[in-house]
Amino acid sequence: MVNPMPDNQSHPDMSAGAGQAELPIKVQARDVCVSYSGKQALNHVSIDVPDRSVTAFIGPSGCGKSTFLRCLNRMNDTIEGAKVVGSLKIDGLEVNDKSVDPVVLRANVGMVFQKPNPFPKSIYDNVAYGPRIHGLALSKDELDAIVEDSLKKAGLWDEVADRLNHPGTGLSGGQQQRLVIARAIAVNPEVILMDEPCSALDPIATAKIEELIDELRENYCIIIVTHSMQQAARVSQQTAFFHMGNLVEYGTTEEIFTNPRDPRTQDYITGRFG
Amino acid sequence: MTDTADIPKLRQAISDHLPRRYRAEMRFRVAGLSAVGLAVAILVLLVGSIVMQAIPAFTVNQLVLPVRLESDLVDPQGDGSEASLRRGSYGRVLQEAVREQFPGVRDRRQLRTLFTLYTALNSTRLMDEVLADPGLVGETHTFRMPIADDLDLYLKGRLVQDRTLETAGRLTVAEAGRDFELTSSAADFEGLRDTVSNLLRAEAASLDTRAEQARNRAEGQTGEDREDSLYEAGRLSADADALRAEAELESGWVELSDTLPSILVETGETHLRLTALSADGRSARAESLLGDETGSELADWSLYVIDTPEARRRVSDQLIVWTRALVDRGLVSLDFNTALFANADSREPELAGVKGALFGSILTMLITLTLSVPVGVFTALYLEEYAPKNRFTDLIEVNINNLAAVPSIVFGLLGLAVFINSFGLPRSAPLVGGLVLSLMTLPTVIIATRAALKAVPVSIRQAALAVGASKTQTVFHHVLPLAAPGILTGSIIGLAQAMGETAPLLMIGMVAFIADAPTLGLEGLTQPATVMPVQVFLWSDGAERAFEARTAAAILVLLALMIGFNALAIYLRRRFERRW
Amino acid sequence: MSVTALIALAILVMLAGGFYAGRSRAIQAVAGNTVRLHSLPNYHGYYVAIWTGLPALLLLVAHGLFADKVVENLTYAELRRDAAALNAQLDEALSTDTVYEALRADAVQLRGRADSIASDLERLRSATGEDRDPERMEALDSQRLDALNAVTSADEAVLDRRMELVDGVAAAAREAGAPVRALAGFELTQAPRERRQLFLADTLNIAHGELPSRESRELVAAASIATRHQNQLRYLIGAMALVVAVAGLWRTRSQVEPAFRARNHVESLVTALLLFSSVIAILTTVGIVFSLLFESLRFFSTVPVSEFLFGLQWSPQIALRADQVGQSGAFGAVPLFAGTALITLIAMVVAVPIGLLAAVYLSEYAGPRFRATAKPLLEILAGIPTVVYGFFALLTVGPFIRGLFSWLGFEDVVTQSALSAGLVMGIMIIPFISSLSDDVINSVPQTLRDGSYAMGATRSETISHVVLPAALPGIVGAVLLGVSRAVGETMIVVMAAGQGANLTANPLESVTTITVQIVMLLTGDQEFDSPKTLSAFALGLVLFVVTLIMNVVALRVVQRYREKYD
Repeated sequence: MVNPMPDNQSHPDMSAGAGQAELPIKVQARDVCVSYSGKQALNHVSIDVPDRSVTAFIGPSGCGKSTFLRCLNRMNDTIEGAKVVGSLKIDGLEVNDKSVDPVVLRANVGMVFQKPNPFPKSIYDNVAYGPRIHGLALSKDELDAIVEDSLKKAGLWDEVADRLNHPGTGLSGGQQQRLVIARAIAVNPEVILMDEPCSALDPIATAKIEELIDELRENYCIIIVTHSMQQAARVSQQTAFFHMGNLVEYGTTEEIFTNPRDPRTQDYITGRFG
Repeated sequence: MTDTADIPKLRQAISDHLPRRYRAEMRFRVAGLSAVGLAVAILVLLVGSIVMQAIPAFTVNQLVLPVRLESDLVDPQGDGSEASLRRGSYGRVLQEAVREQFPGVRDRRQLRTLFTLYTALNSTRLMDEVLADPGLVGETHTFRMPIADDLDLYLKGRLVQDRTLETAGRLTVAEAGRDFELTSSAADFEGLRDTVSNLLRAEAASLDTRAEQARNRAEGQTGEDREDSLYEAGRLSADADALRAEAELESGWVELSDTLPSILVETGETHLRLTALSADGRSARAESLLGDETGSELADWSLYVIDTPEARRRVSDQLIVWTRALVDRGLVSLDFNTALFANADSREPELAGVKGALFGSILTMLITLTLSVPVGVFTALYLEEYAPKNRFTDLIEVNINNLAAVPSIVFGLLGLAVFINSFGLPRSAPLVGGLVLSLMTLPTVIIATRAALKAVPVSIRQAALAVGASKTQTVFHHVLPLAAPGILTGSIIGLAQAMGETAPLLMIGMVAFIADAPTLGLEGLTQPATVMPVQVFLWSDGAERAFEARTAAAILVLLALMIGFNALAIYLRRRFERRW
Repeated sequence: MSVTALIALAILVMLAGGFYAGRSRAIQAVAGNTVRLHSLPNYHGYYVAIWTGLPALLLLVAHGLFADKVVENLTYAELRRDAAALNAQLDEALSTDTVYEALRADAVQLRGRADSIASDLERLRSATGEDRDPERMEALDSQRLDALNAVTSADEAVLDRRMELVDGVAAAAREAGAPVRALAGFELTQAPRERRQLFLADTLNIAHGELPSRESRELVAAASIATRHQNQLRYLIGAMALVVAVAGLWRTRSQVEPAFRARNHVESLVTALLLFSSVIAILTTVGIVFSLLFESLRFFSTVPVSEFLFGLQWSPQIALRADQVGQSGAFGAVPLFAGTALITLIAMVVAVPIGLLAAVYLSEYAGPRFRATAKPLLEILAGIPTVVYGFFALLTVGPFIRGLFSWLGFEDVVTQSALSAGLVMGIMIIPFISSLSDDVINSVPQTLRDGSYAMGATRSETISHVVLPAALPGIVGAVLLGVSRAVGETMIVVMAAGQGANLTANPLESVTTITVQIVMLLTGDQEFDSPKTLSAFALGLVLFVVTLIMNVVALRVVQRYREKYD
């Protein structure tokens, strides 16, 4: 086990600052390192992510932000040769502990991927997938209610209410992504991870997703990985900048974009690299 | 549902479901693993059973007999010329040599049986030996020939259930007319008496069951059918009663019929077969199968029991006795079965070999190789490098993919209708077989070659074109050499497939019995021949049981060839594999 | 050394000379400064050599392939001309022979009677209600059989009488000292069809100096004619080949000059060769379709298509002679279709679950080391020749099944049963299904799996709810290809399924399949043109069409599926 209270000097910026203090800490990472078949992908990352807000991870390609995201719901388990060390807690519960079942964990930590990946099933079955496998609905009516509720929360209900039996793959890209979000929130997770959710979408669809993220912030802890600094600036309250497997800087979004402390952050934000 | 208070309840629901989900997961995993395990187990069973069946075929029991090559028999013209030697009566010579071993056999019928110790085809082999060394004429020559196939199996313990019993007492053999009466000072025959009684009782019980069935059948029948069934039931019951009476006999003699085990008494060179056992198990009656020595108080004797009744096996007690006598005299030796590889097919299993089929396979494969590889590679080159994208090339593409899945027997029909009936090419010839297999292999070669060509990066083509090479020069100087390993591997795998193919060759008559191997040369291409897999098919149909082991052995040879081919393909792939 | 071989050698020499001539002329034309040439000197050499050798050699190959046919036809024509007088005599004898005429009239009358009974029967069969009298139909049916038998024996009597007259004419001609060639021609033209073939084959054998099946004066005479034609043809073709070669050399050599685009010419020839190669694949298909179709049409001219496709009885063995009327056997192929379907069904019941589960396990669960061992083992299973599977079914599985089921109390279980053939065929198809499904499963995008895992699904839930439904079209395609393979598989069923054409759904009975019957009909003694032999081609056509449809559909499905996720 890693020391729960690590040396503050080596991690000067693991909390996003005093401004967010009223929000409880949802995710707490200490010295998380990840390697793939011996190749180091993430170095000693420590960070505190607050609940009911949007935290954006930014940084150039291959900087480790997606890797870190995949640690939070142990998706790295599915990759052969992946090794995670360090302490990672959600609600004070150690994620990498042997007693934690990834199946339960993932029900609590939803994830939305870069490319919309609806299952080759109907819209209804896509949303009902989680509740069904976890046995959350006792009756057909209950399931209908969950599906409707989730689609409404994802802002998709009005568009698909009359064609729930149509295949999910028949929707447009933006709709598909919102369907995937609806699928994720159907099991009532507390944390939602989004891995570049808009990179495959056009600007109008992107705007809708961003709007949705902003609405969801009320109820969930959202962590979003993005390439677009504008997007980070638009949707997030906190921003973390990753570079070459290191967490370089973390703070309120306003702070990072107006007054970055690290020169690398500054270079990246002003577009000198990345 | 948005209520946060629900969340603990939800988590609880999820946890409640977990054990059931993990059990399902386990079941699924076990099912998958057992599917793989089952497939592998079947493979092991398949290969294992064939190896087990093949083992007896690799050795053969040979008679090693001194043969007197009397000059008046083998050299009728007396001039020692080849023509004269070819007209010798070698069959007679062999017969004399065997008779010499058993001078007591005089009866014509018995002599005929005696000569079934070996197959008469061996006389040709003897002739060949004499032709190779004419100096043998007039000499006594030691000739080795395989013993008859059934006796070979008998000697390998694969034909009958038998056992030798220890004897305790001293045996007295007295002549009683043409038969003999045997008594032992100990109760040596008593165990046998029990065995026989038990068998008789079991037989009676099975007759009873059948009688019962006939009676039941009669219940549901009327008129004549009913009468018949009842009559049959009565007859069966009567038979059963007779058997039981015999089994429970207190005094007198129990006759040993040929549906009961054969019991032989062996003392010295004399072999007696029991014809009856006394009810008290003290004495027995016997007839002589070999020798006729009598005597009293013999200490050195044994009981040899063949539990498989004579009526249910392919070799008689008499032949077994002769064979055992020859083994005792050291005239039978177990050798490696060279005939299996040195001979072509034969009606007699002990002389049959795979050479003819092997040569046929080689010739057929040569044709297939020379036709399918160039044509296949050219086709692939055209489609991959030259062909414009149009309907015609689409047609060729679809066509090739479909040809790859057409049942092989259809190619045989094509060969029969086109090559044999229309072009008038000879039936059963490796040439036609090769043509048919070429057409069959073509799609495989084309598909493999196209894959190999696709794997050559475009940059190589662009580089060649950029220095001013023509399209053809680019393809032949740069692309083809780089794709060669892949083409080679694909071609070898296609050829291996063709080598194991049987069905299309049946259509073009390569299924005939052919006693001579085809010549390994151009003229062999039109001689009638067969190939390895067809040989397997032919032998598997053979009436003699000895063909069973030879079929398995031929399969092993075929599998060895195919594994060799595939290993070569894997080696070449490893050796020349290139990744871009 | 034969003349043909000499000429071939001469052409080869000219070919080599042509190469040298073209090359040196090219170099000469630019006085050694080869840079001035449009093409490298070698290309000029190739160009000349190709046009010198290729057409001539092709001519010789064609001669080798078709000479015998041509000689046979020429000989036949000549012999027929020689026998014209004798044939006329026979016609004369036939037309004046009262016995023959009477017999013929009898035969015609009997046939008419048989036809009228048959049409009565047909009417009765198609009738409805009260007119449909089964007893009368049965009576008529047996009458029809009697009539047909009478027709057959009448036809035989006619033929016998005819042969008597033929023998008479031949004997008279021999007495009168007619030329042997005329007698040979007479024998040939009057012989029945298959004897005619044999006569010609023997003639050619003698002409080639090989052993004929019998020897006679007539054959020797015919052979001398054949030899003459053979020699004429040989010299003619040889001379033509030489002329073509020389002309080619002369013409192309004169074309060689610095600006001549020899490379382009050679390369377009190469392209033509490649194109020709790819046409062979098409020709194969065309050959299959035409040969099957052609022979099947001949079959359907004696047996109606409807009877073949819907008839319930299959017993082709009764066909004794090609020219018999009522003895063409029963050609209802439904028992074969049913047998094929039964065995295929059993095979798929074995192969699909095991193959699919194995593929799922290997691609989703197994570690790399396990996969590296298990996959080659499955590939070995795929590479084992089918005849070996047949042997396994015959000697291991069949007896085991018989033992097992008689132990379970089933009576009369046979060794050669649909069950044992189906089981073993299933084993053969396992690796086929598993490797195809493996491909298909692997091409399901990882994002779908990730999506499911991220929802908290277990592996088995991901596989059965997401991966397999996504891969379903591809798996259906794989199964279809497997079915097509099972339908067309021959050796296992020939060895293990038996030959009885039973129409049954009981897997413990012996059944027969399309492929088994093709083998049975075409191996052993066979006469061409009998419905028995031709029916094999009709069965082949059914097999080809059925498997073709399945293959096309399966390949389409798989391709669509690939495109979807590529």
